[in-house]
Amino acid sequence: MGLSLTVNGDRLASAADPTTPLVDILREELHLTGAKPVCREGFCGACMVLIDGKPTPSCLMPAALADGCEIHTVEGLTTHGQLNRIQSALEASDAVQCGMCFPGMVVSLTHLLTTRPDATREDIRAALTGNICRCTGYERIVDATLLALATK
Amino acid sequence: MITGFPVQAAPAETRNATSSVYIAPTLEAALDALSEYGAAGSAFAGGTWIMRSPIRHEPLRAHYVAIGKIAELGAVRIGSDVVEIGSAVTHATLAAALADLPEFGVLAAAAARSANPAIRAMATIGGNLATLDFAAADCVPALLCLDAEIEVAGRDGRERMKLEHFLEIRPTLAPGRLVTQIVVPRSERKTAHVRLPLRKAGDYPVAIVSLSASVDAAGRVRAARIAVGSVEPVARRWERLEAALIGRRLDAEGAARTATELANEFVGRDGVDAPAWYRVSVLPGLVRRAAAAALGA
Ligand SMILES: Cc1cc2nc3c(=O)[nH]c(=O)nc-3n(C[C@H](O)[C@H](O)[C@H](O)COP(=O)(O)OP(=O)(O)OC[C@H]3O[C@@H](n4cnc5c(N)ncnc54)[C@H](O)[C@@H]3O)c2cc1C
Ligand code: FES
Ligand code: FES
Repeated sequence: MGLSLTVNGDRLASAADPTTPLVDILREELHLTGAKPVCREGFCGACMVLIDGKPTPSCLMPAALADGCEIHTVEGLTTHGQLNRIQSALEASDAVQCGMCFPGMVVSLTHLLTTRPDATREDIRAALTGNICRCTGYERIVDATLLALATK
Repeated sequence: MITGFPVQAAPAETRNATSSVYIAPTLEAALDALSEYGAAGSAFAGGTWIMRSPIRHEPLRAHYVAIGKIAELGAVRIGSDVVEIGSAVTHATLAAALADLPEFGVLAAAAARSANPAIRAMATIGGNLATLDFAAADCVPALLCLDAEIEVAGRDGRERMKLEHFLEIRPTLAPGRLVTQIVVPRSERKTAHVRLPLRKAGDYPVAIVSLSASVDAAGRVRAARIAVGSVEPVARRWERLEAALIGRRLDAEGAARTATELANEFVGRDGVDAPAWYRVSVLPGLVRRAAAAALGA
């Protein structure tokens, strides 16, 4: 039986095995390579996507359970090529280096911005405990998030 | 420079696996399916352990029965005598449901501090209890110190047992049987859950101490339950320490001194994160922190 996935607003069919991790379908069938399978263990957050609005490591999400859900990858967070608030703030704050962790960071922070408009520096740090960056350290990322929160 | 951050190809085992996933709409349907699949099937709750099977070089099962949509398993019911927790309740939901009940502080902390936020929104309490070979499960010691009972159901009916007994029979739990709920008695008590990960967040804890104590008006311990997780392969109570605290005033330094005298009864497990001796050696410090946190609660 085929799967029907709604990714970034498009309905797509997949013939993948039901336990295939969603990240593999996104990258290999749909060529959405923003989500990165780095640890495949739920530790690093580089594969984070929004599933029904919630940040979810797509390496741990079997395709069968994503069937029927609204999936948003980092590619789907821009509107008509316009960066969203957190993307713009990260860019403005020079908070990006190699970019490996960034798709996942953007996904987690997009969720934080929509659910916690009053988030403090501590809340931002707590929200990012599942997103590991090996390059930058987190200070600029946290600063950028505070900037995005202040930008209405 | 980027170090050690390669994009991982899916392990071969994942690619070749062909498994079925049945999303059960009701408990009855789940039990029927599990009983039909027998040893070839198993429950799929949050999937945070199952989906990592290939990394542990364990084959996936041929059939999974997803239980996350069964309403009865997804509820927390707070009664006057007991709290009943459906087995598919996630760590995040549990932490939020218990946030205003200080007597359950130990369990709320276990649920709120494990893993990371995205995992806490997926991983379930039933999966935490049922996972074999997961020594660092946070909810197990927390529930041991709360004297929890576990309800297990099969097509032939339901039975209730102490968590201690469940942990004994867990390795031989017959296929087709599901943890359906966890029942925790209510009482006035001071509780705390203290875990030691190597980093502040995200890592498995090297050792866990969960503590629950009821004290009299003079501050003396009337009853105590202390459980240790992650040190040995399966969490267990520290009964000699519990007994030693009875009748004494609960004080953090005194409890830590007694824990130092009694710690040699633990045989630690070696792991990639920490050696056996280290897990045991941190116990008195964790007992000190647990007693201090319980007194502050
Ligand atoms: C990166 C990472 C870090 C983590 N760190 C921690 C931590 O520090 N502390 C912690 O406590 N947890 C941690 N976890 C979560 C841990 O994986 C889960 O708590 C739990 O062990 C699995 O729960 P699950 O619902 O995901 O179960 P699943 O993966 O769905 O299932 C695990 C096993 O339990 C069985 N099972 C599930 N539900 C039932 C049921 N109701 N009845 C019978 N059998 C059942 C399944 O058949 C399977 O064998 C972490 C997870 C990840 C990915
Ligand atoms: S690849 Fe999914 S969390 Fe690391
Ligand atoms: S920017 Fe390189 S891992 Fe985060």
